[in-house]
Amino acid sequence: MLATFLSQIVNGLILGSLIGLIALGYTMVYGIIQLINFAHGEVFMVGAYGGLFMFTYLLPTFIQRQWYLALPLLLVGGAAVSTVVAVLMERFAYRPLRGAPRLAPLITALGVSVALQELVRNFYPGATAALPFPRVFVQGTWEIPVPGGTVPLRWTGLLIIVLSLVLAAVLTAYVNGTRMGRAMRAVSQDSDTARLMGVDTDRVIVLTFALGAALAGVGGIMYGTDLGFVNIDMGFQNGIFAFTAAVLGGIGNLRGAVVGGIVIGLVKALGGQYLPGGTAYDYVWIFVVLIAVLVFRPQGFFGESERVRA
Amino acid sequence: MTTTSPAGAPPAPRPAGPPPGRTARLIAALGPHATVLRGAGGLLTLIGALLPWATFVLNKGPYPDKATLQYFVAPFGVTGFRWQLLLFGIAALVLALAPVPARGRLLRGLAWGIIGIAVVNGLFITVEGGGLGAITVTDGSVACGAVVTLLAGVLVELGARAGGIEPRPVWTWRFGPWVERAVLVVVYVLMLFVVAATLTSGGTGGAANRYSGAVFLSFLAALGGAFAALHASGLMTWVATVAERHRVFSVLVLLAMALALPLTAAGNEYWMTVAANIGVYAATAIGLNIVVGLAGLLDLGYVAFLGIGAFVAANLSGAAAAKFDVHLPFALVMVISAVIAGMFGAVVGSPTLRVRGDYLAIVTLAFGEIFVRTAQNNIFGLTGGSNAIPGIPQVELFGTRFSDRIAVAGIQLPAGVLYYLLIVFLVAIVMLVFSHLKESRLGRAWIAIREDEDAARAMGIRTGPIKIMAFLCGATLAGFAGAFFAHKTGTVSYESFRFTESVTLIAAVILGGMGTVPGAVLGASLLFVLPEKLREFADYRLLLFGLALILIMRFRPQGLVPDRHRRAELARDPADEPPPGGSTAGSRAEVAA
Repeated sequence: MLATFLSQIVNGLILGSLIGLIALGYTMVYGIIQLINFAHGEVFMVGAYGGLFMFTYLLPTFIQRQWYLALPLLLVGGAAVSTVVAVLMERFAYRPLRGAPRLAPLITALGVSVALQELVRNFYPGATAALPFPRVFVQGTWEIPVPGGTVPLRWTGLLIIVLSLVLAAVLTAYVNGTRMGRAMRAVSQDSDTARLMGVDTDRVIVLTFALGAALAGVGGIMYGTDLGFVNIDMGFQNGIFAFTAAVLGGIGNLRGAVVGGIVIGLVKALGGQYLPGGTAYDYVWIFVVLIAVLVFRPQGFFGESERVRA
Repeated sequence: MTTTSPAGAPPAPRPAGPPPGRTARLIAALGPHATVLRGAGGLLTLIGALLPWATFVLNKGPYPDKATLQYFVAPFGVTGFRWQLLLFGIAALVLALAPVPARGRLLRGLAWGIIGIAVVNGLFITVEGGGLGAITVTDGSVACGAVVTLLAGVLVELGARAGGIEPRPVWTWRFGPWVERAVLVVVYVLMLFVVAATLTSGGTGGAANRYSGAVFLSFLAALGGAFAALHASGLMTWVATVAERHRVFSVLVLLAMALALPLTAAGNEYWMTVAANIGVYAATAIGLNIVVGLAGLLDLGYVAFLGIGAFVAANLSGAAAAKFDVHLPFALVMVISAVIAGMFGAVVGSPTLRVRGDYLAIVTLAFGEIFVRTAQNNIFGLTGGSNAIPGIPQVELFGTRFSDRIAVAGIQLPAGVLYYLLIVFLVAIVMLVFSHLKESRLGRAWIAIREDEDAARAMGIRTGPIKIMAFLCGATLAGFAGAFFAHKTGTVSYESFRFTESVTLIAAVILGGMGTVPGAVLGASLLFVLPEKLREFADYRLLLFGLALILIMRFRPQGLVPDRHRRAELARDPADEPPPGGSTAGSRAEVAA
C-alpha cells in the first residue's frame, strides 16, 4: 500500500522533473515575448531524434558501448540539434511577425509544430513507428526498502531527476547572476525600455530560444534513454504537459516551472493509480488541472497577480 | 468565386517603404523594352506549348498530353496543359500589343499562370524521369518545353513589371436589371463549369491514371493565373458589385448552380461523395468562423463539436452498437445533435469569462484532447472506443435510401446524389445563419469584442454571455454537420476528431479568410479537395498544412477572400491598401468604357 503510493510518487517525480525541464523553455520564451511557443514540445522531440541519429550513424562502436562516453556526447548533440532548430524557427517564423496581432504568432507556432513533426515523420528513416533508443546509462533499478515492500527507482529515472534539477539551478543562476541574464530580465519586463538602455533585444530573444531549446534537447535524450524508445507524438504530449506546468507555476517564473512540472508528474502518476478510470484517464486529469488552473488561478503558484494579457 | 471586397488585391510586388533594391533598379532599367519583353514572352509561351516536354516515356507510362517526343506526332492537336499554355500565350501577345486598361497587371496574372504550369509539369517530369535530363536532352532527343515555358513566364512577368503595374480599373457600367441578371446567370453557369472541371481534372487517380495529381495541379495553376488576370481586369469586382445589387437573385442562382452540379461532368458517385465530405467540413468551418473569425476567439479543439454531433446521431440512429435502442427520424436526430453540441459549446466557452487570448486557445485545446481521450476510452459506452460505432443506417425519406441511385424525369442521377443535395441545403442554411448573425446586433458585438474587448465592454456590451454565445452558435452548426457526417459515412470513430482535424479546420478558415462565408467554403474546399486529388502526396499533407499556416501568417494573414474589417486590421503593408488614386483610375476607366 505504502510501497505502491511511494513508487507512484517516484514515477511522478521522474516524469515531473522532465516536464519541468521542458517547461523552462516555455516559461522563458513566454516571459520575454509573450508567445506560447507551441513548437517547443517538437523541439524536445527533435532533440531526441537528433541524438538517435548521432548515436546510430556518427558514433564509432567503441563509444556506443561505453555509456559514460556516449551519454555526454548524446546530451550535447541533442542539445545542439534542438538549439539549431529553435534558432532557425525564431529567425524565419517568429521574428518577421513581431508586432503582428496576437493570434498570428500563435497560429504560426501551430504551423511550426505540425511541420516539424511531419518533417521528422517523413524524412527520418523509420520514424513512422516508434524507434528503439539506445539505453546509454546504467540499467536496472534501485530497490528502496520501505515498510510493506520496496520502491523501485530506475537509475535512468534518478538521472532525469538529478540532471533536471541541476540544469534548472544552473539556468536560474545564469538568469539571476550574469550580465546577459540581467538583459533577459530587462527585456521581459519592458522590451522597449530595455532597447533604449542599450540591450540588443534580438540577441536576447535568440538566446532565450536557444537556452530553452538546449534544455529541451537534453530532456529528449534523457527521455529516450529512460523509456528505450522515441516516437513522433512525444513532443506534442509532453509539450502540452510542460505548458501546463509552466502556467501552473506562474508563467515567466523559472522556479515555478520546475515546481509545476513536478505537480503535473504527480497528478499523472497518482491520478492514474487512484482516480476512477485508471491510467486510461491520466491524461484527462492533466487537462482538467490545466483548465482549472487557467480559469481559477491564471497567474499560477508564483506568478505576480494580474498582469495584463491580451 | 466573386470577392466581397472591392479592393481584395493581391499583395503588391514591392512595398513602397524600403528604398529600391538592385532588382527594382534592374526592372526600372528595362522600362523602355517592356513591350518587347511582353511580346517575346508571349511568343516563347506559344513555342514552349508546341515543343516536346519529356525526352522519354516516363516510368509510370507516357506523360499526359503526349509530352514525349515519340508521341509527338501532331503539334497542333494539343490538349491539356499545352492547350492552356497556347491560350495564355495568345492572350499575352494580344495584351502586349493592344491598349487594354491595366494590362501590366493583367500580364502579371498570366505570367503567374505560365510559370505555375511550367514548374508543375517540369517538376513532375523531372522527378518521375529521374533527373534534369528528362526535360532537357537525353540520348540525342531534345525536349525543352518546360525550360522554354518557364523562361517565357519570367519574361512576361519582367515585361509586366517593367511597363509598370497600373492600379486595377474600376468599372461603373450599369445596365437594365434584367440584362444584369442575365450577365450574372452566365457568370454563375461558367463558375459551375469551372468547379466541375476542377473537380474532375486529372480524374480520380489510381493505377489507371498515374498522373492525376500533376494534371490537377497544372490545371489549378492555369486557373489561378486566369483568375488573377480576370481580377486584375476589374471585371470580377464589377460582377461582385452587380451581384451585390441583385443579392437575393444571386443567392438563388448560386444555390441552383450548386444543385445542378450532379448534372455536369462531376456527376458520379465518387465526386458526389467527395463533394458531400467537403460540405460537412465547409459547414463546420463556417461554424468555426463564428468563433475565430467574428469573435476572435481561437478554438483549437473545435472538431470535438463535430464529433459530439456525430456520436449523438450515431447513438440515436438505431445502429446495433449504439447505446440507446431508438431510431429517431433524421431531422429530429439532427436537431438533438445540434442542441447537445451547442450545450457542450457553452460549457467549453464558459472559461472565456475569465481566460483570454492565447490562454483561451490552450483551454479549448485541452477540451479537445479530453474529448478525444474519453471517446477513445468509450466513456459510458457512448462512443464505441477503438471499435467505433459502425453500421449507422442510411437516411431514408419516403422509402428511398439516400445512398441509392435515383432517376428524375428520365435522367439517371449518380448514387449519393441525395446526400449531396442534402448537404448543399445544409451548407446553404448554415451560410444564411452565419450571414444573418454577422449583420445582427450579436454579430456586431462579436466583431467589437474581436477588435478590442475592453473597449467593447466600455461601450456597454455584456462581453461574457456574448462570447459564450459565439461558442454556442459555432458548436450548434458543427453539431448539425456532425449528424449528417454520422449518417453519410456510416461509422463514427474518435479517430476522425483528432487535433490534426482541428488544425485543418483552422487552416481552412485562415486560408480562406477569417470572418467571411466564401472564405470558409473556399478554404474547406481547397484543404479537402487537395488531399483527395494528390493521393501520391498523402504523406506530406500535414507537412504542407503546417508550412501553409506559417507562410499565410507571414505573407497574407488576411486570407484568400479577406473580410473588409479584418483587412484593415491586418494590413501592415502600405502597398496593400486601396490606392489613393483609385478614383482617378475609375474615371479613366469610365472614359475608356
